[in-house]
Amino acid sequence: MSDPLSAGTSSAAGAGPQWLRAVADRIDSISGMIGKTVAWLTLATVLICFATVYLRYAMHIGLIWLQELYAWTHVAAITMGAGYVLLKGGFVRVDLLYARMSVRGKAWVDLLGTVFLMMPFLVMMAISGWSFFRQSLAMNEASQQDTGLPWLWLLKGTLVVFVFAVGLQGVSMAARSLATILAPREAKPEKNGSGAVGGA
Amino acid sequence: MSSLLIGEILSLSMFAVVIAALMMGYPVVFTLAGVGFAFGLVGHLFGAFDLSYFNALPLRYWGILNNDVLIAVPLFIYMGVMLERSGIAEDLLRTLGEVFGRLHGGLAFSVILVGSLLAASTGIVGATVTTMALISLPAMLRTGYNKELAAGLIAATGTLAQIIPPSTVLVFLAVIMQTANSQVQLAKGNFTPATLSVGDLFAGAFIPGIILSCLYALWVIFMIIIKRDSAPPMVTQRSPGLYRKVVVALAPTLLLIIAVLGSIIAGVATPTEAASVGAMGAVLLTMVRMIGNALSKRLPEDQVERALFWYWIATVVLLVVLAVTTGANGVLTGSVLMTAAALLFILLRGDTRPVFVKVLTGVAQQSLNLTVMVFVIFLGATVFSLVFTRLGGEAVVGEFLSRMPGGAHGAVFVVMFIVFILGMFLDTFEILFIVVPISAPILLKMDVDPVWLSIMLAVNLQTSYLTPPFGFSLFFLRGVAPPEVTTGHIYRGIVPFVGLQIVCLTIVWIFPQLATWLPTVIYGN
Repeated sequence: MSDPLSAGTSSAAGAGPQWLRAVADRIDSISGMIGKTVAWLTLATVLICFATVYLRYAMHIGLIWLQELYAWTHVAAITMGAGYVLLKGGFVRVDLLYARMSVRGKAWVDLLGTVFLMMPFLVMMAISGWSFFRQSLAMNEASQQDTGLPWLWLLKGTLVVFVFAVGLQGVSMAARSLATILAPREAKPEKNGSGAVGGA
Repeated sequence: MSSLLIGEILSLSMFAVVIAALMMGYPVVFTLAGVGFAFGLVGHLFGAFDLSYFNALPLRYWGILNNDVLIAVPLFIYMGVMLERSGIAEDLLRTLGEVFGRLHGGLAFSVILVGSLLAASTGIVGATVTTMALISLPAMLRTGYNKELAAGLIAATGTLAQIIPPSTVLVFLAVIMQTANSQVQLAKGNFTPATLSVGDLFAGAFIPGIILSCLYALWVIFMIIIKRDSAPPMVTQRSPGLYRKVVVALAPTLLLIIAVLGSIIAGVATPTEAASVGAMGAVLLTMVRMIGNALSKRLPEDQVERALFWYWIATVVLLVVLAVTTGANGVLTGSVLMTAAALLFILLRGDTRPVFVKVLTGVAQQSLNLTVMVFVIFLGATVFSLVFTRLGGEAVVGEFLSRMPGGAHGAVFVVMFIVFILGMFLDTFEILFIVVPISAPILLKMDVDPVWLSIMLAVNLQTSYLTPPFGFSLFFLRGVAPPEVTTGHIYRGIVPFVGLQIVCLTIVWIFPQLATWLPTVIYGN
C-alpha cells in the first residue's frame, strides 16, 4: 500500500510522514474509482424502474425479477458508494465549531472521531453483518417470489462491503489527519474532506 | 441501583453526550452510531443492555435499504438533480421575473411562484436556494429591494421543496409513521389498522404547503404597505416574445408536476413508479434544452425560441390527446419515442454528445451523494435509537410526555418544541430519524392523528433549514450571495419567515382539517 510513487503531487506538502499521505492518496483513488463506477447504478435504478412502469402500464406485463433488479441496483449503490461519499465530504457535519477550527484542530477531530466513533461501530457492523450474510448464504437464499432473482445473499453481502468501503475511507481520513498533526507547524496544510450537501 | 434505573440514567445522558459530540464536527452519521454503540457497551457492563440486540441491526438495515416505498427516494433525488442541471429553474426565474417584475414586489412574487413550482416538481432545497441566490438576488438588489427581505425570502422559499409534495422527507415520514402506527394499533388490539401511505401525506401536505407560499406572499405585501420602497418595481422593458419564453419554461414544469404528483395523489401509480417517470421526464426536458442550446449556436436565437415554443405546445397537445384516446399506454409510448428521438439527435451530433455525457456523469455522482447521505444517516440514527429504546429511554420519554398538562396536545406540543430547538443545530433528516421513531409511537398511543402529526412534523422540520445558527438554507445562501449581503442581513432577514412558519404551525394546529381533509376526500377513510 505504501508505494512512495503514489504520493504523487501532494509530496509538496512538506516534511510530514510521507507514507501516511501516500496511503491516504492510494485509498482515495480506489474509493474514487469505485464511486464513479457505482454512481451509474443510480441511472440504472431510474431506467429499470421506468422499464417496469412501461411494461406494466403500456403492455400489462409484470416482471417480478425486473422489479427486484432495481431494488438491487438501489441497495448496491448505497452500500458500495458510501466510501466514495465519505471521500467527497458528503456526510453532514455540525460545523458550528469545526469551521472555525485550525487545520490541526480539524485533523484531531477527524482522527479521534474515526478511531473512537466510526471504527467501533464498523467493527460491530462487520460482525453482525457477516453473520447476517452467512445465514443467507447457508440456505442459498433467493427471492421469495417464484419468478424473482436468485442469490439474494449476494446483495445481503453488500452490507459487509459497506463496512469495508467506509472503513477503508476512514483509514484514509485518519492517516491524512495524523499526517497533518505530525507535520511541522509551518508545513502547508493538507485539505481534508469536509463540507456539506443539502437535503433532498 | 437496579439495572432498570441505570438504563434510564444512561439513556438520558446519551442525549447530552451525543449533542456534545456532534458539536465537535465529526460527520453526524458516525457520531450517532458511535455514541449509540458506546452506550450499548456501557449499558452491557451494568447489565442494562443485551449486546445481542446489535445482531438485529443488519435485519433493520435491510428493511430500510430494501424497502419498496423508500426506493422512491433515490428516484426523486435523481429527478431533482437532473432538473437542477437542466437549467429550467433559471429560465423560470428569468421569465417570470420579467412578467411580474414591473409590479411592486413583483420579483419577490416570481421567486415565491418559482419556488413553489420547483417544490412541486421535487425541488432540492440546496439547489433551489443556490439558483435563486444567483439569479434573483442580484436582480432584487439592483432594483433596490430591502436586503433582509430579499435574503429571508429566498432562504425560506427554497425550503418549500421540503413540504410541498413530492418530498423525500414526506416519503420517509410516511414509512416511519406507518411502522409506528401499525405497532400501536396492534398493541391496542386493532388487527386491521388503516394503513398510512405516502399518498396520504402528499395529499395532507398540499394545503399547508400552499398556506406557506401564501403567507410568504402576504408578508411581502405587508412589507410593501408599511415601507413602499422595500420591494420596488423593476424598470426594464419586457423583451419581445416573452410569452413564448414563459411557455417554454412553464409547460415542461407543469407537465412533470401533473404527471408525477397527479398520478400519486390520484392513486394511479405508486410513488416509486411515478418518481421513475418523473426522473425520465427530467432527462427528456434536459435533452430538449440541450438541443435548443446547440441549435442557437447555428441559428438565430428567436428562431430557436419559436421552435422550442411550438415543440412544447405540440408536446402538450399530443400528450393530452394520447391520454384521452389511449390512456397510459399512449402517453408512455409517446414519451418513450420522444425521448428516443432526442437521445438519437444528441448522440449523433459531435457538439452535444460530450455535453450530455458530462451531465449524465455529474447527475449520477450527485444523486449517489445525496442518496447515500440520507440513507446512511438513517442507518446511524437506527443504532442510536435502538440503544436508547432498549436502555429504557422510550419508557422515560413516554412517562415524561404523558405527564404533560393538556394530555395528547401537551405531549405533541413538547415534541414539536424539542424538534424546533433541535432544528437549530441538526439537519432535517437527523431529527427525523432520531426523534420520530422514539416519539411517534407514544403520541399515536394517545390517539393523535398520524396524518396531522406527520404534517406538523414536516413543517417543523422544514423550519430547521431556516433556524440559525445551523440552518442549511442560510448556509447555502451565504455561500453564493453577493458580498453586499452580509451574514447579518441573512440572519435578520430570516426571523420574520421563521415567524411565518410558526404561524403556519399554529393554523394547522387549530384547524387540523387543513392536513387531514384532502387525504380523506381522495382516499376515503
